[in-house]
Amino acid sequence: MNHRKRSALAVVAAASLALVGACAPGNAGAPSSAPASAGASSAPAAEAYKPPTITLGTAEDSKGPAIPPEGVVKGGTVTMIDRDDFAHFDPAQIYVNTDANFGLLISRGLTGYKRVAKGDYKLVGDLATDAGTVSDGGKTWTFTLKDGVKWQDGSPITSADVKWSVERMFAPFVTFGPNYIQTWLTSENYKKDYPGPYGGKELDNIETPDAKSIVFKFNSPHADANYAFAMAGYNIVPKAKDTKEKYDKEPVSSGPYIIKSHVVDKSLELARNPNWDAATDPIRGAYPDVWKMEFGQEATQVTDRLVADSGPDQTAFTFYSNTPAERLQQVLGDASLADRRMISPSPYGNYYYFNLDRVKDQKIRQAINYAWPAKQIQQALGGPQAVALPTTILNENTTVGYKPYDLFGKLAKPEGDIEKAKQLLAESSNPHPTIVYAYNNLPTQEPVTLVIKNALEKAGIKVVAKSLDRKTYYDSISQTKNEFDLYWGGWGADWPSGSTVMPIIFGPVSDGGQNMSHLNDPTVKAEMKKIEENPDIDAANAAWMNLDKQIQETITPMVVAENRIGTFLHGSKVGGAEIDPQQWIVSPNTIFVKQ
Amino acid sequence: MLRFLTRRVIGAAVILVIISGVTFFLFFVIPADPARLACGKVCPPETLAQARHNLGLDHPVAVQFVSWLGGIFVGRDYPGLGNCPAPCLGYSFVNRAPVFETIIDRLPVTIALTIGASVIFLTFGVATGIIAALRQGKALDKIASISSLVGASMQIYFVGTLAMYFFVYQAHIFPQPKYIPITEDPVGWFNGLLLPWIVLAIIFTANYTRMTRSTMVENLSEDYVRTARAKGMSGRSVVMRFALRGTLTPIITIFGVDLGQLIGGAIITETTFGLQGIGRLSVRAVDYSDLPTLMATVLVAAGAIVGMNIVVDALYAVIDPRVRLS
Repeated sequence: MNHRKRSALAVVAAASLALVGACAPGNAGAPSSAPASAGASSAPAAEAYKPPTITLGTAEDSKGPAIPPEGVVKGGTVTMIDRDDFAHFDPAQIYVNTDANFGLLISRGLTGYKRVAKGDYKLVGDLATDAGTVSDGGKTWTFTLKDGVKWQDGSPITSADVKWSVERMFAPFVTFGPNYIQTWLTSENYKKDYPGPYGGKELDNIETPDAKSIVFKFNSPHADANYAFAMAGYNIVPKAKDTKEKYDKEPVSSGPYIIKSHVVDKSLELARNPNWDAATDPIRGAYPDVWKMEFGQEATQVTDRLVADSGPDQTAFTFYSNTPAERLQQVLGDASLADRRMISPSPYGNYYYFNLDRVKDQKIRQAINYAWPAKQIQQALGGPQAVALPTTILNENTTVGYKPYDLFGKLAKPEGDIEKAKQLLAESSNPHPTIVYAYNNLPTQEPVTLVIKNALEKAGIKVVAKSLDRKTYYDSISQTKNEFDLYWGGWGADWPSGSTVMPIIFGPVSDGGQNMSHLNDPTVKAEMKKIEENPDIDAANAAWMNLDKQIQETITPMVVAENRIGTFLHGSKVGGAEIDPQQWIVSPNTIFVKQ
Repeated sequence: MLRFLTRRVIGAAVILVIISGVTFFLFFVIPADPARLACGKVCPPETLAQARHNLGLDHPVAVQFVSWLGGIFVGRDYPGLGNCPAPCLGYSFVNRAPVFETIIDRLPVTIALTIGASVIFLTFGVATGIIAALRQGKALDKIASISSLVGASMQIYFVGTLAMYFFVYQAHIFPQPKYIPITEDPVGWFNGLLLPWIVLAIIFTANYTRMTRSTMVENLSEDYVRTARAKGMSGRSVVMRFALRGTLTPIITIFGVDLGQLIGGAIITETTFGLQGIGRLSVRAVDYSDLPTLMATVLVAAGAIVGMNIVVDALYAVIDPRVRLS
């Protein structure tokens, strides 16, 4: 996921609002040594954060109903309060995590993530009987739909609907959703290759031998295609009820709820979908009878309401309103809130990219990494309870086969190793370089910039800080011919693998692209292509992790940035509330109302 | 009177067109691309071009403005989204809805907030000001003066946040502020807005107390008041029929401006109390570079101020016979 999108959504007041725009999981996680909670003295003792386990489920795992959380009760009305409404209901237009999370309530896809226990997830068949069968060396994927899966009007969900749903993602009006499957079926220019199904043309490499079976034939091996299908963007749309652009406002449910009423940016109410059968669904518990959603509440208001826990707010929770910095000590220090706190580090990748076209000497890049004042930045952003200090490009929350490393001694010397930096600079082409550091003109970034400037100047590096307008920040830094040496950018994985991070952030160098370091190394490119086409997913995951370390070791295109730790609250009568560690948002699947 | 009103309404319409035009043109100076917002992550050049076309951004700014203006009277067609019937204030790609629908949804919140608070601050402000003027130099006057000074120094985000903390979250005296349509639940409507009304009124009352007091003191020393007293009129009659009448003219002037500004959007109040009115809508429109919504909120704000000025001018004639409309 793109932090540009996050920025566009959050803007102004939301520096403290964890409005993550992202697709699925991202990288840059907290190392397992990072404290997940290190609040005031009355706060519970800090526990080492344990990243989630994500494994591949079986056909048995894919059977419903979902595993209920402890003490679950069915029925009641739960209220969700947040700042912004959901941008899209049409699955094809869904990419950001907030929309995807809501999508769990009203739509289903071929695969999805089943919660087995806290921190333990399995990729299982959602509408499909299992997580798919791969053949032809990873090029062909076959899914079979379960019996009894229906649309909200009671009509059966068929393979034709699935085929249609993927084909319509090629249509010109679909611009917001993911593009992995489309690219794999055709090419990078997939919109030119196929105009979508509305003109009557079909994609030959999606086959539907019968009403239950669907076969995808990709041009190259994609061992993790079943993970791609778990993205909310690939949830399905009924062929018979597709209203093209208008579907975004009038979706047809395949999930446990239907939209009963919706006042844009204000409120939304869900009622049960009578044609959803829990026995077919291993993912969604769908315990409350009614969901009420209230928008327009800033993070501070959400926090105050949930702390007060009065009246109707006892059955309220928030999907994504992270406790803002000004309330964090109160929330972490109040022992009575212990049962109502949820804490998890962000799954997104945050990086200070070097512009390799300008900072050409690796010794200088390494020196900056050694001198980096991670601990001081952590303090400036709220301390260890608010920010973790990752050391790897890939995030442990969203990387199956994660293997930690610490190349620049960040764990041993989080305040920076100035002497080591000086030593490297002395060996470099310029012992006293000048670095132009561009930063987003947000209130939180001013103190961070000062900290960076002070630390690097101690090592003998002159820092010229350039403040960029928040509305044009990403446009400015993503220009290939920009005039900056160092700048922050982010990215999040779309499923738990390096395959949706590395090829993006080290992909094609283009204006507006995500390769912000402009890394254009033939060895890295070849290795990425090799891993992408590896039909052995475990070997591929291990290879991504190795490449992560190799890139930092041999090229050093970035400083891995700090990672936010989210602290969310829920009302006292809400049970089963948990942050989805991949999405960094409270999952609706386990929520219930205590009676 | 009719001629006067006709002339003022035509003048107001011209002002609104000018304000709209200036806002429209200024928006394009901002380095943000509205089409980019209507085009997601996967946004190849041809899709971006399509989004620009759908938004009408592929035309010169002047043509776009004329189209926008024309939409208000005859509606507009948006490719792929259908017709936006008159009065069409544009289509928001952020809210995925015609802007007029959103405005109609939000306006009652702001109007209810404005009217409720106005009743409180006007009543208390003027009454306190009169009492202070009549008890000039005495304890009541001093208390009123100090209170109004304190009130005028307060900020809504401060008073509102404190009020929320103590009265809603701690003491539970007031419910969580929210807007419920009066037609659905009159009691809920009243209870949900009572705290925002009181907080807004605390800030505004101060101005009215001070204005009423100073003008009343001035009027009480006027010749015509002295004459009335000399003729033997009772103190109450002198105050209510003469002094107060003279005092009302400046009060109505500032009330007209305040009312217009509040209807245009009590941004901080709405944000503090989480009310979804025109003020919050305008902030969000700025955040998201949502030009159609921004235009509409500017138009509502400008229309409210211009409209209230016309009402105030008309009221002058009713209150003060010295004013000649022509």
